[in-house]
Parts: sequence; C-alpha cells; structure tokens
Amino acid sequence: MNINKSNPLLLHPLNKWMKKKKWSWFPHQIETFHHVQTGSDVVVFAPTGAGKTLTGFINPIDDLIKSKKFKGLHTLYISPLKSLANDIVRNLEKPIKELDLNISFQVRTGDTTPYKKQKQKQKPPNILITTPESLALLNSYENAKEFFHNLKYIIIDEIHTFLDNKRADLLSLNIERLQTFSPNLQRIGLSATLKNKQDAKKWLCRKKPKIISYENSVLPKIKILESKERIPWSGHMATYSINEIYKEIMKSKLTIIFVNTRAQAEYMFKNLWLINKKKIKIAVHHGSLEKNLRLKVENNLSKGLVDCVVATSSLELGLDYGDVEKIIQVGAPKGINRLLQRVGRSNHNLNTPSKAILVPTNRFEFIEAKAAIEEIKKNNLDKIDLKEGSFAVVAQHIFATACAGQFDINDLYKEIIKAYPYKKLKLNDFKQLINLIQDGGYVLKNYDQFKRIFQLRENKNIYKLVNKRETRKYRMNVGTIIENPMLKIKLGTKTLGNIEEVFIQNLSQGDSFIFAGQVLEFQSMKNNLVQVKRSKSLISKIPSYSGGRMPLSTNLANSVRALLAKSNMRDLYPEQITEWLKRQKNISKIPKKDEYLVEQFPRKKNFYTVIYTFAGWHANQTLGFLLLRGFKEFNYKPLGFVANDYAIVLWSLKEVKEIKTILNLGLLDKHLDNYLEETSIVKRLFRDNAIISCLIERRLPGMEKTGKQVLFSSDLIYTVLKKNESDHILLKSSYEDAKKNMIDYDRLRKILKKIDKKIILKKLTSISPLAVPIILEINRENLSKKETDDYILEDLENEILKEANVLSIN
Amino acid sequence: MYYQLINFGNEEFYAYPNKSLYWKRLNTLIVSDLHIGKSISYAKNKQFLPPYDTKEILKELFVSLDKIQPSNLIIVGDLFHDIFSTLSLKDQDHKNLNQYMDKTDFIWIKGNHDKNIQIEGFNNYTNYEIDKFLFTHIPIETTLFQICGHYHPKVKISHRGKTIFKTSFVHNGKIFILPSFGILTGGLDINSKKISDVLGKKTLSIYPVGQDKVYKL
Repeated sequence: MNINKSNPLLLHPLNKWMKKKKWSWFPHQIETFHHVQTGSDVVVFAPTGAGKTLTGFINPIDDLIKSKKFKGLHTLYISPLKSLANDIVRNLEKPIKELDLNISFQVRTGDTTPYKKQKQKQKPPNILITTPESLALLNSYENAKEFFHNLKYIIIDEIHTFLDNKRADLLSLNIERLQTFSPNLQRIGLSATLKNKQDAKKWLCRKKPKIISYENSVLPKIKILESKERIPWSGHMATYSINEIYKEIMKSKLTIIFVNTRAQAEYMFKNLWLINKKKIKIAVHHGSLEKNLRLKVENNLSKGLVDCVVATSSLELGLDYGDVEKIIQVGAPKGINRLLQRVGRSNHNLNTPSKAILVPTNRFEFIEAKAAIEEIKKNNLDKIDLKEGSFAVVAQHIFATACAGQFDINDLYKEIIKAYPYKKLKLNDFKQLINLIQDGGYVLKNYDQFKRIFQLRENKNIYKLVNKRETRKYRMNVGTIIENPMLKIKLGTKTLGNIEEVFIQNLSQGDSFIFAGQVLEFQSMKNNLVQVKRSKSLISKIPSYSGGRMPLSTNLANSVRALLAKSNMRDLYPEQITEWLKRQKNISKIPKKDEYLVEQFPRKKNFYTVIYTFAGWHANQTLGFLLLRGFKEFNYKPLGFVANDYAIVLWSLKEVKEIKTILNLGLLDKHLDNYLEETSIVKRLFRDNAIISCLIERRLPGMEKTGKQVLFSSDLIYTVLKKNESDHILLKSSYEDAKKNMIDYDRLRKILKKIDKKIILKKLTSISPLAVPIILEINRENLSKKETDDYILEDLENEILKEANVLSIN
Repeated sequence: MYYQLINFGNEEFYAYPNKSLYWKRLNTLIVSDLHIGKSISYAKNKQFLPPYDTKEILKELFVSLDKIQPSNLIIVGDLFHDIFSTLSLKDQDHKNLNQYMDKTDFIWIKGNHDKNIQIEGFNNYTNYEIDKFLFTHIPIETTLFQICGHYHPKVKISHRGKTIFKTSFVHNGKIFILPSFGILTGGLDINSKKISDVLGKKTLSIYPVGQDKVYKL
C-alpha cells in the first residue's frame, strides 16, 4: 500500500468520484489534506481551475464520513459574494449527490428567506455556506454558542479579497468568536496567488500555520486589441473600438467583457446592442441590478445560453463558468492582481492558457495595459497592504456581542486582540468604544438614563443590553458596506434594481436613462420607488455611481514608468502611440523610471503646471489640493487642479516659479489637516463610521427617513461634534480612515520624501503631447461642497438678475 | 451681518443667514422650530446624537439678541422638541434666558412638538396677532398675513448639472414660512405635497440660506 502512503487521498470518500471524472488529485490537495489532518491552520494559494473549492472541502467531507451521522453544524464556508455562495452550492452538490453521501449542506445569505433561516437555526446542516455579514448575524443570536460549539472547520474562500478592508475586520472578529465557541476549530483559507503570502497566513492562521502553494506554469495569453481606429486622448468609454470588440465577441463561443464601473457596463451594453446585427445574445451584470436579474444572467452564463456578458467586478470572483472562452477587459487594468483575477474567469482548464484581450480607452491606458502584460509575464504581483482594524467595526461587534447576551468586557477585549487587525488595539480605545455603544461616548454625560448597554451593579465588568428591542436595531444595521442612498426602480410592478438617489434627483419627468440594458423613461417617484416605463428615446443618460474608484497600484505604476522610459518604442506600441511619445520626446522629455517630470506652460491667459507622479488617483488628488495651498502661499493665484492616476495639472493666474521649493515633504505636513478639514472626505467617512458603529441608523427600504436625510443629519452631527468634541473616537477613527484609505497618505509621503532631487523641470511655450490627456479632463472646479453650493446659488441668482435686467443689489 | 430684504404684507423684513427674521419697524426678531433638546429626545430611542445642540442653539440665539437688541422675540413654534428635551436646559441656561427676558419680550407660540410643555417665566400663545399679521406655528384659515414655521422648508436647486438642497425662507404673498433655527433638524422640500398644500399654486418667493448670505431666487 505504498501508493496510499504517498497519496492518502486515494482512500478519500471523494476518490471514487474523481476517478469517474478521470481527474487526479493535485499536489496541493494532498498537502492540504495532510496538514489539516495533522492539526494545522492553512492558507492554500492556487490559481482558478486548480480545484480550489474542492481543496477546502477535502478534510470536512472526510471527517463527516468518518464520524458518521454527525449532528449539527460541522463546517462553515465563508464566501465574499452572495453569487459565489450559490455557485459553491452547485459545485458541492455534484459529488455529494453522485456519491450519495449522507452530508447536508445549505446556503445562508441576505437573500435567504426568513422561513429557511429559521429552519436552519432549528436544524442546522452539516455544511453552511455563508457571507461575513450573515456570520456576524448568526453570532449575535442568544443561542450562537450552542449553534457553533461543534464546529470543526471554517473555510474562507478568496481570502485575498478579505485582507485590507472593514469587511475583513468584521470577519476576523467573528472568526475569533467562533474559536471561543469551539476551541478545536481549524481554519482553511483559499486564495488566488499573492505576493505577500506570509501576511495572509498571519491574518488567518493560529495553529501550526502553514502555507500551501501551487503555481500555474501555463501563463495566460493576453494581448491588446489591435485597433485600426484612433485611440482617444482621454475618456473611458471605448466607443472608438466598439466594432472591433463586437468582432472579437463573434470569434468566441462565450465572452465576458469586464469594465471598471457600472456606468461603463450600461454604456458598453447599449453600444453593443446598437450594432448587434447578428442578433447574438448579450447580457449585462452589475451589483445594482435586482437579484433575480443577476441570477438569471449567472444561470444563463453557466448553461451557455448567452454569447456575451458585460460585467463589473460583480462577476470577478471565483465563479466557475467553464465555457467562457475569452475575457475582454475594457479600460485600465489598475492592478496586476485584479487583471489576473479577471483573466482567470476564462477557460478553467489548467493546461491551456486563459485568453484575454485588453481594450485601453485612452492613450495612457494603452501604456498601462502594455505594462500589465509585461508584469504578468514576470509573475510580478501586487502586494496587499494589511491595515490596522477599524474602530467602528469593533463598536458594531460590541453591540452584536451584547445582543447575544451579557458579556465580560475583559474577556471580550482579550478575544478581540487575538484577531490580527486588532493586535494593537489599546484597552483605552476599546473602553471608549464600549462607551460609544453605551450612550454615544460623549464627554458631556447627558444620556445616563437612556443607555443601550449598562454595567451590572454587582460586577462592573459585565455589561448587558438594556432591552431586547435593541437586537432588532443591530440586525438592521449589520455590515460594513455603506452604499450611497439608493432608490428602487420599478418597471410596472417589476423591480429592476437600485439607482443612486442623486442621479434621479437630476432627472425630470420624461427624461430617459439606461438601466439594466434598457432605455427607460422616468415617470414619477413615490415612496422611494422610481416608476419608469420603456422608452424608444435615442438620447439617454447613464446613471453614474460614485465611490469605489480604484487607484492604479504602486506595483503597476512603477512598471508603467519603467515601460515609458524604454527607448524601443516602435517594438512596443502601434504607430499612433509611438508618434505621440516621440513628439513628447522632441518637445519636452520622457521621464526616466525614477524621475518626476514637471512641465510648465502658458495657455489661454493662465499658467499651467503639470506633474507626472504616476501615484494613483487618490494620492494625486491629495497632492493637487496641497499644491493649491502651496501656490496660494506663494501668491501664484491658483485657480484649480485636476488629477488622474498618472498626473496632476494645476492652473494659476501667475507663473509658478518656485515649484522645487514647494514640492516636498513639508507641503504634506503643513497642509494635510486643512485638506481633510475642507474636503468632504472625512465627513463622508464619518457618515460610514457612524452607521457602522450604529450611532445612526442605516436607511432601509420602506423606512420613512430618506437617505438624503441620513446623509444630511450625519453632516450635522459631524459639524456639531467637531465643534464641541474634536477628539471623539469616531472623529479620530474617521481621520485615520481617511489617511489609510482615501488619500494614500503613505504612498504620497514616500514620493514626497525623495521627489525634490528627482524633479525634471521643463519650461515650455505651449502644452506638451503628454499633457493633452489631463488637460482634457479639466471640466470641473475643485471647490469644497459648501463653497460649491454657494457658488451655484450666486451664479443662479446673477443669471436671474441679468435676465430680469436689474443690477445686483450687492 | 448681511441680510436679505424681503417685502411681505407691505412691510420690510430682514432675513439673516442664521435663519432668523427681523421686523425692523417693530424691532421684533422672529425665529422658528428651534427643537431644543432634540438630541436628548433621540437618546430615549438609543440614537445618541452629540448632546451639544441645546448649547449651540442658545448661543446663536443669544448672539442675535445681543446684536439686534429687539424689543420682542417671537418664536413661531417648536421651541422644544418634546417633554424630554427640556431636560437639556441646565440651570445656567435658565438663568441666561431669564436675563434676556428682562430686556426682550419672549412670545412663545406653541407648536405641535411643544404644545404640552410649560416653563416657568415663559408666556405662551397658540397664536399672536400684530396689525394685519398673524404669527402661528401652522397656518390657519384667515384673511391676515401669516408668519409661521413647522415645515423646515428646503429648496431643491438644479443648476448647470448639479443639484443641491438649501434651507430656505419662503412665502407666497400671504403665508410666510421660516426655516428651522435648530442644529440637528432636517428639512422638507418646498415642492413636497405637505408644503404645496399650504402655499398653493401661487408664485413663491424663495430665499435660500447660504454660508454667510441669504439669496433670492
């Protein structure tokens, strides 16, 4: 029996099924089985198509069969997406049904009916497939301990998506809770390949931590769309190449077109539809669509009933649609990991390469696409930066804990600091968060008689929920994802999905817009429902969705810079790009890998300064503001700035002479606080944190208070609090969040630290070719919200006065 | 302080950016919907808003009283958010209020939020008539010009592709509605049914409140 010794999986209950399918076990599956069996927590890194899902279930299924008639919940499977959870069920069903194994499994997400949820709680399945939010909810029930006390395994799928955000924080706290309930619990993480595997291990594993890794030797085949059309200077819609994209779709059996935003998805879908002479089946998929519509598209995709799906990141993860032949990525890849993830959606057979075509929507994106392809060849992945956990999430977790029953704060603190993101959580901060849940945690103790949780008189360390009604509030506010106020769209009685309230406010009755791939006419808005009808209008708006803007990864940015500095342009780019860059070289300069090119030129009475940082949108946006301040100090009379992933442009009335004096680390230290103060960044994060920490309630469909009012009142709360108690824990943490997430503080700091010695200053007589794209993006003024509001009022008033032919009274 | 001149009922009123209205001829300051202690009343339902609203509202009010030194202060309703909210008045606040009352007549018109609240030293009315003007929280059937509150009017402005909401003074020639003087109070669109039922289809004069200025549309 030597064979069995080398491969213990040959005795596994699933081996028969594998044999029938003529599949063999992967080395990482054998390794996983061994290490988990010998008591390790593991993270498995493997590409799509390498049986990742199955890898997670190998030990649980073996254990369930061996322990015979196991009663209750045995294994928990956490998926980052609801749609993925459904897909896992489909995949798990096959072997279990075909082998007639006595194992029960169910899915539990926000989409599960209350009836089913109730039944699951009474009679839990052996395997439960769920999401971080549903897990948090389960942990908030009084009987959570009994429900989970026998839990043997927790599997975290796509763990790389869980490492650097508030959702990860929530999940980490809930995993520690499960570990308390069931000390023998083992953790299995499944991940796409990562650069910093050790970090993922530290995040997840506690017992005999082990990394198991399987690298795919077959590289994906990625190329850039060869277009005969002119690649635009600027813009993000790829209209120029629509016919060529259509031809590519026709060449393959099943194509997924990935775009970066929901607006792009609708737009791409509409444009494809307009030229769809062959009447191929095209569908659209994004996160705002109604669940049923999404499920229909997913079903059609897995059954091969469509020819092409236009999708956002909503289809990015794990879904196993074996028949997808080709991926088309429209727009900048933004990061290597993200591109690989998307490319991996095609062709799940490991031995043949995935096929993908990149469609840059403008010239810089062409260079970015090219750089991404180079990096993938070198297997140079992006690093995921682990962050310290969010305070607001701890507050929510404290509330959840109180919902499950009375608790000892010392025990809770000890449990929380076991979670990797909270290793450094200070006891003092934790206590402030207890106070936040108790009564808002204000210095002014006005609410003594209204506390939400209170200390027991006989033991001051024990806290208890004041009444059961509060549990309902927690359950309606669970989760860390805060969307902008959304409204439901109704076509007749059918719900199509959700749309941002801000977009609808800008529509008048009779206006048409595109949603769910249809042209719709806005009829009325009643009780937070947007009533629409089908329209034949050719002029229609596309809803935009704010937020979620992904900055260019540092890794890819570096490679863009390296690529740009190469002199063999003709080998790298098509004629038009080469021409563009050659002209740049003649007129100005192409910066070397570590140089920062600054161009200055007069244009239309103003003076322009363009700085090519390649620092990503967030950092550039911040730098733009700081420079605006710096320019003001030097009395250059700056008028505004625009930033994108690659560069910043500022325009001013006077010539900027001392750019080298201004552009350095001092700029950041001096003006950052002002920046945070004046923009709505911290304010918006405060709103999110106030909702996550349950200080204010989340809007839910059917509730009278509209989202606009929530936003409004959180603004008011922010203003009052800042004025009176500027060191309140939620303000502090919102400020920290801004630094961590929204303004790329560390990235900017690194650049500014070394920039002064690396500036290449070019004084030009007119705009340079490289500057054209960003100059084209100048279309808005960068004033703070308050100023903008007053500007609009002022302007409108003047217009009316002019119309009425009276002079302004001022 | 910058003000916007508003002609209403053949009288001149000054609208201030702090959402108060001044009737110069009678040296009378008018405010509405202060909702003092809204925070504490929310705390009752475990919504813990910063407990500083009362302090700020009173501060703003006292600044106005110091500057303008009016003979009368008319509050057209909802001085308090509810019975709980009076808890947010500290002894010092009561003292201060009494001091101002020595110089200025406080005319507290009851609103739907504070109709059952009594406070020592405060005169209160269901409505109040001066010349051809009626001060009332919610407008009633009358031939008089009415100055009232209750609705917290906000105007939606769409201009050059942007939409904003602004707290606003508004009147239709017969009925004048003041914005809320409160800190944590929201607002209602003047196009909403509730307000248009009151103001009817007549042309409205709308005065949005900006940062340091009241505008006229």
